[in-house]
Amino acid sequence: MCIGDFSLTDIDLSVGDGEYFVILGPTGAGKTVLVECLAGLYSFRRGKIWIDGTDVTSLLPEERDIGYVPQDYALFPFLNVAGNITFGLRVKDAQRNKIRDKLLTIAHVLGISHLLNRDVRTLSGGEKQRVALARALATSPRILLLDEPLSSLDIRISKYLRLELKRFHEELGLTTLHVTHNLMEAEEMADRMAILNMGKLEQIGTPEEVFFYPQSETVSDFIGTPNILDCDHYRSLGYGLIEAVCGGMSIILPYQGDKVRRIALFPRDIFVSTSKPPGPEVNRFKGIVTEIKPFSSLRRLKVKVGENSLLAELPKDIFEHMDIMVGQEVYLILKLRRLRIH
Amino acid sequence: MGISPSTKAITSERAFKTAAITALALLTLFFTGIVISMVAYTDWGTLVSTLMSQEILFAIKLSLFTATASTIISIVIAIPVAYTISQIEFPGKDIVDTILDLPIVISPIALGAALLLFFNTPLGVGLENKIVRFVFEVPGIILAQFTVVSALAVRLLKSTFDSIDPRYERVGRTLGCSKIKAFFKVTLPLARDGLIASSILTWARAVGEFGATVTLAGATKLKTETLPIAIFLSLATADVEKAISVILILIAIAVVALIILRKISGRMYQI
Repeated sequence: MCIGDFSLTDIDLSVGDGEYFVILGPTGAGKTVLVECLAGLYSFRRGKIWIDGTDVTSLLPEERDIGYVPQDYALFPFLNVAGNITFGLRVKDAQRNKIRDKLLTIAHVLGISHLLNRDVRTLSGGEKQRVALARALATSPRILLLDEPLSSLDIRISKYLRLELKRFHEELGLTTLHVTHNLMEAEEMADRMAILNMGKLEQIGTPEEVFFYPQSETVSDFIGTPNILDCDHYRSLGYGLIEAVCGGMSIILPYQGDKVRRIALFPRDIFVSTSKPPGPEVNRFKGIVTEIKPFSSLRRLKVKVGENSLLAELPKDIFEHMDIMVGQEVYLILKLRRLRIH
Repeated sequence: MGISPSTKAITSERAFKTAAITALALLTLFFTGIVISMVAYTDWGTLVSTLMSQEILFAIKLSLFTATASTIISIVIAIPVAYTISQIEFPGKDIVDTILDLPIVISPIALGAALLLFFNTPLGVGLENKIVRFVFEVPGIILAQFTVVSALAVRLLKSTFDSIDPRYERVGRTLGCSKIKAFFKVTLPLARDGLIASSILTWARAVGEFGATVTLAGATKLKTETLPIAIFLSLATADVEKAISVILILIAIAVVALIILRKISGRMYQI
């Protein structure tokens, strides 16, 4: 699969029936191209696409029964909301009363019944998204493709709509492929996810698997290079707290689950101090700086604590002020609330 | 603390603005001056009687008819051509694109002469004898206008199609449209206002066409006399009143066309 200099290679992906599958990747990874290949909008040289046990590779987009919501929704400005939603049914020459029924049902499910006569150009971002979704669902597709459905919305609305999308998915049980560059979005929504980078699939798994067991440096970098600690054993302290021992570090954290295998913590959630910090000695460790690397406007320190090597992050000016050098002894404080447990 | 701009910067900014506004004012004055001086020269009584003369009424009708015909033909052909150049990749596209631009930059009289010469070739003569007579006939006017304005129509429509995000058509495809259906149901409605605007500009250009028309169709009174040719003929016979009345008609047509264009561009889809 090639477009100009860009190519998608070795895309071996199978999405289960009714699954909410997220493809996560940085800008330019080939996410949109992949989605458009699935929709039949690009032809490719090698490879096959199967839907429901049928090979659809040679089918035209209009024959594939796919619901497609592109980035920025591409609602037809020359039609009102109802016209947009019923477009596919009218193209397929459905009966008038059937079109009407479908329109009302789908508008009701998506909560846009009050918008049907509106000009699509006057809708808010969230309303546009729901109309685009309704338009894609009206023709009862077998698969729903969502290309960055939340990225053009402001953060507060997009958080709310994540929940809503998930609810629609649960109600309709439709196999959904959702493409995004937003890690949080992927983790929150995906049943399973794939990491796409430079046209290649780096890893496929549940969000937990990807987060706690990144299979390559690229994946780890993309999800924010979390420190991942293997836990040797743990015990309950009561009050909903446990003490986990990971490579000689004893970490206390709130946890209700039954087993602690791994603990993850982002470099930005580790404080670094050159002097012994005041306060109770919980989740604080002494270590030796083994490496200092610039990372955009930050400095990343590798600190050896027991058997573990932890990555911590400091703003450049604070780092310079602290005058830290390789080989120096520093204190690390782990942000309790940011610890993630698997 | 360097918060207020320096005097030098202010002076240079003012000098630039003054120069730009002066140029704008001079050019606007130049055009309005031409029109006003002509209106001042007009004897309104003569104007009305010339307008009502058989010759000018004929020229008006002929101009409106031929310009409309050549515009319709141009647009119908330009739609697929412009769409292809805008949306489809094919080898030699740059060359084709350049060839299609030629009629815009070539002098219309050269195009007219080339057409005239073509009708002297065996193929041209055969065409004239077997199908339609073009040379010194009304179809010649339409052909001459078409030759000059079709390239303009392609250029204008191409920019319309360029501005349409191909994603709309892609969504149309996934909703069940074949390629052709997607073009008619999605792309063409999106291009509607651009299409109307391009048609008006093409039509206005066709109404004003002189060089190619006069060369191919000649300047025969009450036969191939369009409005621009009427100006030419009345100046040739030193009939200034008649020339002015025709010029005013052309200006009126142009003003109406521009007003409609303004209205359309005000409501165009933001896509």
